[in-house]
Amino acid sequence: MSDNLPASLPGQSDRVVQVDKLSKKYGDNVAVNGISFNLTKGEVFAFLGPNGAGKTTTVEILECLRNPTGGRARVLGYDVSKRSDQAEIRKRIGVLPQDFNAIDRLTVRENINYFGAMFKHQLDADKLIELVDLKDKRDEQFKKLSGGLKQRVGLAVSLVNDPDVVFLDEPTTGLDPRARRDVWGVIERLKSQGKTVFLTTHYMDEAEYLADIVSIIDHGQIIASGTSDQLIDTHGGKKTLIIRDAGEEGLKQLLPGFPKAELRNAGDIAIPLHNGELTNILMSLAQTPLHDKEIEVRRPTLDDVFLNLTGRRVSEEGN
Amino acid sequence: MRSRIYTIISGHFKSWYRSKSNIFWTIAFPLLLIVLFGAIFGSGSTKFDLYLQNQDLNANVPTYYSQGYITVLNNTRAFNLHMVPAEQPDPLTYVKNDAQPHNRGQRLLVLPLGFNQTLKNGGNATVQLYMDQSDQASASLAGIVRSVTISYAASIAGSPNHLFLQQVGIVTRNIRYIDFFIPGVIGMTLLTTGVFGAVNTNGRYRELKIIKKLATTPLSKIEWILGMVGYQLILATISLVVILFFGYAIFGVTATIDIYTVGLVVAASLLFPGIGMVLANFVKEAESADAAANAITFPMMFLAGTFWSRESLPDIMKIIAKFMPLTYVNDGLRDALIYAEPAQALTNTLIALGLAAFFIALGSVLMNWKEE
Repeated sequence: MSDNLPASLPGQSDRVVQVDKLSKKYGDNVAVNGISFNLTKGEVFAFLGPNGAGKTTTVEILECLRNPTGGRARVLGYDVSKRSDQAEIRKRIGVLPQDFNAIDRLTVRENINYFGAMFKHQLDADKLIELVDLKDKRDEQFKKLSGGLKQRVGLAVSLVNDPDVVFLDEPTTGLDPRARRDVWGVIERLKSQGKTVFLTTHYMDEAEYLADIVSIIDHGQIIASGTSDQLIDTHGGKKTLIIRDAGEEGLKQLLPGFPKAELRNAGDIAIPLHNGELTNILMSLAQTPLHDKEIEVRRPTLDDVFLNLTGRRVSEEGN
Repeated sequence: MRSRIYTIISGHFKSWYRSKSNIFWTIAFPLLLIVLFGAIFGSGSTKFDLYLQNQDLNANVPTYYSQGYITVLNNTRAFNLHMVPAEQPDPLTYVKNDAQPHNRGQRLLVLPLGFNQTLKNGGNATVQLYMDQSDQASASLAGIVRSVTISYAASIAGSPNHLFLQQVGIVTRNIRYIDFFIPGVIGMTLLTTGVFGAVNTNGRYRELKIIKKLATTPLSKIEWILGMVGYQLILATISLVVILFFGYAIFGVTATIDIYTVGLVVAASLLFPGIGMVLANFVKEAESADAAANAITFPMMFLAGTFWSRESLPDIMKIIAKFMPLTYVNDGLRDALIYAEPAQALTNTLIALGLAAFFIALGSVLMNWKEE
């Protein structure tokens, strides 16, 4: 990924999305504030941030649903602000809007064909049903499906025109962990097929697991970009030794030798690790009553990156 | 483009027939209303409507014998008498024009000029009763008028055998309540399916992000609207055919489907979804939009002459009714289907088409296709 590249001719570049100093204002409220990034063919790009950070506004500008108030954005080389280009973009993108539901009383197959009919060329519905693993449910009405299965229908619908780039806006919000994993499975299959995916999410683990490139957005501005590893290495802080279920009593016993130890949720104790310290700490612990507790070395996550960059964590609800 | 519109129509239609409540409100409910109202009011009033022209006035006051005859008629309590002005040169046309909107039978009794003088002089006076022999009430009505005439003649001293009743046949169409009601039910069904269809589809599809999804495809707003109107047209045709068939099978209502009926169905299929789209634009949440649709359709249903003639409404309500689009659809459907009045049907059809063009254009302009 590289920033501020010049615009390319439609269809002649590997840069699928090019965003340069893009802004969107609603009156005095600045939803997106001069952001820039690019997305290359075949990448899974995660746009990560809490609710209200500007993710959906950005993605909807790229989907030609909103007009920017400043800057430029190109999708597949076409300018999102030009009416004539918008028609071309719409033919070649796949979109799963946030909180999307298909038509209640149509079956899975009928829904895929319904949205497919909006395009000149559509993929075979049965192949898409196979891709999202809904063969047993193909003749089931949409309203009778569980949340996870509904979202898989949404994914199939977003792929119905064999798009060059797929925009997935918060595709796993509100799903239970198993359904989230199933959706991740579908996105991984897209990735293995070489599809370019633009994913917005407030789940740090989702971005870390799925994305080649992550951009973190907060208050309308991109605060960090790179691969997950790059972001963690740069902004994640140190590894942490976790002693499970040690409680306050355990902390009292540790504090004289480990002044940086702290008590976390559920009675776990966390000790920041500096290079080469691990062996010494483990040997010291062996001398304490905590030697039989479960011990884990935790690598920093994107959650820690966000915490270190903004001073706050993102909740399950994305706030 | 045709395939996209067809897909939208087909999607709406499948969603419609797979919902039991949709089937109930579009087909079963109107039929239920027809059965209920037909059973309650189908035979109309127990009194006979009778138009009366008393030509025998003296300084605008009925003469002695003509007043006596009218009093005897009234005393039978069998008639609702409606006076035709004595100076009216063509009383039959007057009756025809007045009876239809009031849902009355076309029956006219004329007391001729000189009635009083003739009887006084011992001459032969004749009252004329104009009515349609096919009128279901004709036999009993004519019998009562004949009895009145005979008994009144008998009461006139010196002229017991000088008063006669002459029956004159006219060809009319006796409009029963159920004949009047069925076009109203069709109008009501077109109104509710159109307004609620547009409100619910646009409101719910917006909430479910279906419209947002469609807006990211090559589908245009105009194609979406044409698809919705096409679907409404199909529903309107089904409603029309089912209701007319039911009316004929159960109550023997015969209707004439002509070019005006087609025009009105097309107008209604644009007009009412257009109103729904305007509403859906101002009330964004599906639930509130539903309440707003109720607030618009219910007053229209009751004031625009769906269940009963607007003539019975207070004057202010009559004025309000003139601003209600359903009024012209109802009136036009009655003119076309039941009264066979092409001139009036044309006027109402043109007004309905004009309103349809206005509302569908306004709804289309106001409808948000993109997010802003």
